[in-house]
Order: sequence, then C-alpha cells, then structure tokens
Amino acid sequence: MDLMLSTLLSPMVLFFVLGLSAALLRSQMTIPEAFAKGLAIYLMMAIGLKGGVEMSRSDISLQVWAVFAAGIVLSFCLPVIAFALLRWTSKLDRIDAAATAAHYGSISIVTFVAATQVIKAAGLESSGYMVAVAALMEAPAIMTALLLAQRGQKKSPSVAGSESGELYREVLLNASVVVLVGALIIGWITGEAGMERISPFFVDPFQGVLCLFLLDMGLSAGRGLRQGWRQLDFSAIAFGLYMPLISAAIGGVLAWSLGMPAGDMALLMVLAASASYIAVPAAMRLAMPKAKPSIYLTLSLGVTFPFNLAVGIPLYLYFANLIQG
Amino acid sequence: MHEKIRLELIIERMALKRACRILETAGVSGYTVLPALSGYGRGSRWQRDRDLSASQDMLVIVSISDEASIRNVLLELHELLDQHIGILNTSRVEVMRPDRF
Repeated sequence: MDLMLSTLLSPMVLFFVLGLSAALLRSQMTIPEAFAKGLAIYLMMAIGLKGGVEMSRSDISLQVWAVFAAGIVLSFCLPVIAFALLRWTSKLDRIDAAATAAHYGSISIVTFVAATQVIKAAGLESSGYMVAVAALMEAPAIMTALLLAQRGQKKSPSVAGSESGELYREVLLNASVVVLVGALIIGWITGEAGMERISPFFVDPFQGVLCLFLLDMGLSAGRGLRQGWRQLDFSAIAFGLYMPLISAAIGGVLAWSLGMPAGDMALLMVLAASASYIAVPAAMRLAMPKAKPSIYLTLSLGVTFPFNLAVGIPLYLYFANLIQG
Repeated sequence: MHEKIRLELIIERMALKRACRILETAGVSGYTVLPALSGYGRGSRWQRDRDLSASQDMLVIVSISDEASIRNVLLELHELLDQHIGILNTSRVEVMRPDRF
C-alpha cells in the first residue's frame, strides 16, 4: 500500500496525471513534436548507457543468456494469447486483433524507465542487462502478429510501391532499437570511466527530463483517449486492463523459474505487461495498413500505459518482492 | 503559358516512400513533399504532434508533369490508396517554363 501510494505521489506520475488531465479538459497546452522526440532519444540514450556500464562490470553468465531467451520467447508468445482473447471477447476483426496483439507482445520503453525509478526508490537493485532484454523484446511480437493476421487467409499481393525488406528495416532499425542498443554497446565499451565524463548530462538531470517527458505522454494519452474512445467497446477497454496482468503473471513465472532477483523479476513483469506505442504503430502502418490505429493506439497509450504507470508497476514490484524478496 | 497536369496526393507518412517509388518509377519529372498540419474527415479531427510514433502524420506530395506521365502513375497510386489512408486529385495548371516539367 505504501509502495503504491509513494508511486502515485511521485513527481513523474503526478506530471503524467497533469498532462492527462490537461488533455481531457481540452487544454491547448502542447510540447513541440521535435522537442518530445529529443526527450525520448535522451531517455533511451541514458538508460542504454547506464545498462551498458552495469553490464561492463561483470561477464555475461549463462543465466543472463537464459533471460535474453526468455524475453524473446515472451515477445513471440504474448501476441498469441492477446489475439485469442481479443477474438474471443471483443468484436475486433482478425486484422485489428492481430495489430493490437503485436502492441501487447512488444514493450514500452517509457514504462520500463519509470519502473527502474520506482525499483530504485524502493531500495531494490536491477541489472543493467535488462535494458538489452527490453531491446530484444521490441520486434518478435510484430512477426507473430503478421503470422496471426495471415493464418488461414489467401496470401495478399504486395502493396503498390512497396519494396522487399522495408518492413524489416522499420522493425529492426527503428530509432528506439538503434539508440537503445547503440547506447548499451557504447556504455559497455566505455565502462564507468566513460560514464563519469558524461554523467552531468545523462545521470543528474535524468529524473527531471523523465517528468517533462511524462507530461507529454500524459497529453498524448489524454488526447488519444478523447479522440479514440468511441472506437472501443467495453470488452476492448477491459482487455487493455486485464491483458497487462496476464502478461505480468507469465513474465513473473518465467523470472521465478530462472531464479531472477526481485528487482529484475519486477522489470521482466513490467516488460511483459507494457504495450508499445512508438515502434509497433509505425510498423503496423506498413505491414497492416487496414488495421485501425485509433483502436491499437488508444488501447496501448490511452488505457494500458496509464494503468501500468499508476497501478501495474507497484503491483508487479509488490509481487516480485513477495516471491523473491 | 503552357498546360500541364498537377497531381496532389495527401497520404499518411508511413506510405510516403511507397508513393515516391511509384512516382519515380513512372518517370514524373519531379515532386515536392510538404507536411500537413491538421484536418478533419470521417467524423474525426486529426492533428500532427499528437502521436510520438508519428505513424499517423499526414504529408502532401505535389507533382507537376505532362499528362502522359501523370496517367502512368494513377493506377498504381489508386492501388496504394486501397491500402493506405490518403486523398488524390489532379488538376490542369499553366506553367511558364514547360521544359522544367
């Protein structure tokens, strides 16, 4: 209860709520697009560097490789569960259900960053290699979603003007994967000595920048919710709330079977529970242009992201602490 | 003044490269891409800057060329718009330097 209250009353969550409320009340407040993209790149660089430096302190053990594999398996498998639940409980057609499922197999790096801060504030440790797990979990879900969308259907002709490999370029070389993996490798190579030189820029202002970014995320979530809620029926909205709990439980069982410590277990649960709203929507516009962005973006950004930020993260941390603490 | 055809295609950002490939392959002499700021259609408003993935941003492609080149691209652009969000229109315009188009 204390953990949930302290998370809810943390500056980052309160700034998110400020943005969300402003958007729902139709405030004209905006954060310029280029600035918000700059903040996102800053956060991914900072978290990648930090993870790389922590990885440089020790060798990559067999258990770490097993966690990498677990992350990839989760990302491949979660869309299958999400797709089945959406088809069973909601009125979404095959394409919309597959596109939405892809978002729930992939990850939200901002939820991950927020979780690392909550874990730190709770006095727990998390491993640097979890950043690599986050990067590995970005893409596999998209492949599963494509298979789900095509299963039992006639192979559709390629879209006019499309080029072979364009989807793979978008999926594997999108900005978040390049920056996150790049910063992780740079942090790994340069180690603590390198980090010391850039820490005034990447460590000290990190929390403040995260608050600013979450203010923008609140605005995006609120506007998405205001404009897209009409597209969602009760069962779809409920999916946005119960799917993260199912995914987190599966992530938790995997983490427990691998003997991960509480902080890392909580992070794997957060990664499993989070839904993408940066990399996957772009890939879906290329791979499944018939799917409606107003459904999958409203669900991942307007429903699941706020739920994870306010309720999910402290809940996953509580259970991780209970099991492994 | 010399008569040419002006093609204007409003299309989602993620399909831009596909549209450009169609135009280039068909041999149009050139095109310009402009950002679209906001709009309204099918009962809802849309606006740039509202989605961090920028996957819902719209762009405008303007191309002025001779009638034969524009006719070459219409069928493929029509197929593209079967899949992607967008609007296509053409109009007759007058240009001062026909050799540029």
